[in-house]
Amino acid sequence: MAGVSLHNLRLGYEGETAVDGLSGRFAPATLTAVVGPNGSGKSTLLRAIAGHLKPLSGAIDLEGASRGRIAYLPQAHGLDLNFPIRIVDLISLGFIGRRGLFGALNVADLQRLGAAIAAVGLEGLERRPIGAVSGGQLQRALFARVLVQEAELVLLDEPFTGIDSRTAEDLAELMAAWPGQGRTVIAVLHDLDLARRLCPQTLVLAREAVAWGPSALALAPDPLARARRMADSWRVAEPASAGLSA
Amino acid sequence: MTGALSILALKSAAAGATALAFGGAPLGVLMVARRLSLMGDALSHGILPGIAIAFLMFGPNPAAMLAGALIAGMIVAGLSSLLARTGKLPDDAAFAIFYLAALALGILLLGRAHDPDALESMLFGSTAALNHAGLILAGGAASATLIGLALFLRGVLGEGADPLFMKTTGARFGGAHLLLMLLLALNLVAGFRAFGALMTVALMTVPAAAARYWAKSYGGQAAVAVGLSAVSGLVGLALASAWTLEPGAVMTLCAAGLFGLSFLAGTHGGLLQTLARRPHLASRPSA
Repeated sequence: MAGVSLHNLRLGYEGETAVDGLSGRFAPATLTAVVGPNGSGKSTLLRAIAGHLKPLSGAIDLEGASRGRIAYLPQAHGLDLNFPIRIVDLISLGFIGRRGLFGALNVADLQRLGAAIAAVGLEGLERRPIGAVSGGQLQRALFARVLVQEAELVLLDEPFTGIDSRTAEDLAELMAAWPGQGRTVIAVLHDLDLARRLCPQTLVLAREAVAWGPSALALAPDPLARARRMADSWRVAEPASAGLSA
Repeated sequence: MTGALSILALKSAAAGATALAFGGAPLGVLMVARRLSLMGDALSHGILPGIAIAFLMFGPNPAAMLAGALIAGMIVAGLSSLLARTGKLPDDAAFAIFYLAALALGILLLGRAHDPDALESMLFGSTAALNHAGLILAGGAASATLIGLALFLRGVLGEGADPLFMKTTGARFGGAHLLLMLLLALNLVAGFRAFGALMTVALMTVPAAAARYWAKSYGGQAAVAVGLSAVSGLVGLALASAWTLEPGAVMTLCAAGLFGLSFLAGTHGGLLQTLARRPHLASRPSA
């Protein structure tokens, strides 16, 4: 089981600071919501934890999680939907960490694959090309890949945005069960009710941590109002870039 | 340029074309899927100086030409990906610079050859070149391609469909691109002396593009592409031999004709199917 520790973390792009002075820890096998106004650095933080953005200063400690068992689902999934692979092939990519680029799958792997497909409700669609399913079904497949991958650390950026409500409910339920299976989950959410309902922990981010702790405390009116005020101050300071990056 | 084919030459050309179908078409499906169709075309010019140097030094020796082509291909592919990495130029522009320079260099080098038809036969091929060694090379290229793809398919498909996942999990298969380029160069060398560099690329990519109208999975598309490529090659050879035409060109036109047929009648989004379905749909299906 892997937690994530942040040490005085500063993140940004080409000199623009997106996150500053962030320290704290996502404990192993917990589910933490990350909320905050547009431009507060939520997606930037996930990108950095996933290893796609080097910190300007400070450090991210993955506490021994192996890279093959990190699952990162960014807001724009980045899949090439024209590429001729099927849903089942996409989900099977989750085995790459353990079976390598050309190791064959064994019986247990195939059982795990079938169980993952059943868990996300994609039975019967396995052989569809990835370009021939809905956005919700694609998101279900990506969640199935998290299961196949046996991910220790799951990073979700607005995972329920732009998909049908039925899928959102199913996947949210799946996500809520992950800490019980030993996974550490960090989910950027804009739906505060969902965060309150499903996530025991919340980080309210406004370039720095406004509140970080049990959701009931972090999502109280006071810290949320403070985060909004801080966001308003950036908009006055830099009107051109306000609201563009999440 | 190319006279009437003798029966023996026809037989070996048919064997060569079939081998090329098995090696080239599965590769072509990946090139089309990764939007690299024109890259194959460009690379077929990029390897020219390597072939020319090998030709000038060792004569028409298949092993030397293969080595020359691979070295030239690596240099062109390597330098252009280095240039693209600086971020100032898009990949295709970076590639264009090096392959055009390589093509020019190849033309100059081949101009120094004593055989005045050398350049023409490089670009357009002559089936007389498919001797015993040429056939072994074509068969070897096909085998190497199929084995290479079978071994690395998971990485190649993962890199093509979801590069971000590959990067996150540390499975990033930087070799995928290199492997494709290597196998491409190998098949180009195997095919170009018989059918010409351009026509060899055509027999890889045109059937692969047509296969998209018949199958959705990689395996399905590869199988269809091999079939279409082999049919184009064999029918093209038969027509060329009957009417004393340039085989490579006739084969390419056959492939283009099969593409047209696939575009019309294909079971996965062919024109007739799309037209037949249209009245029943209120809106287009979203991807």
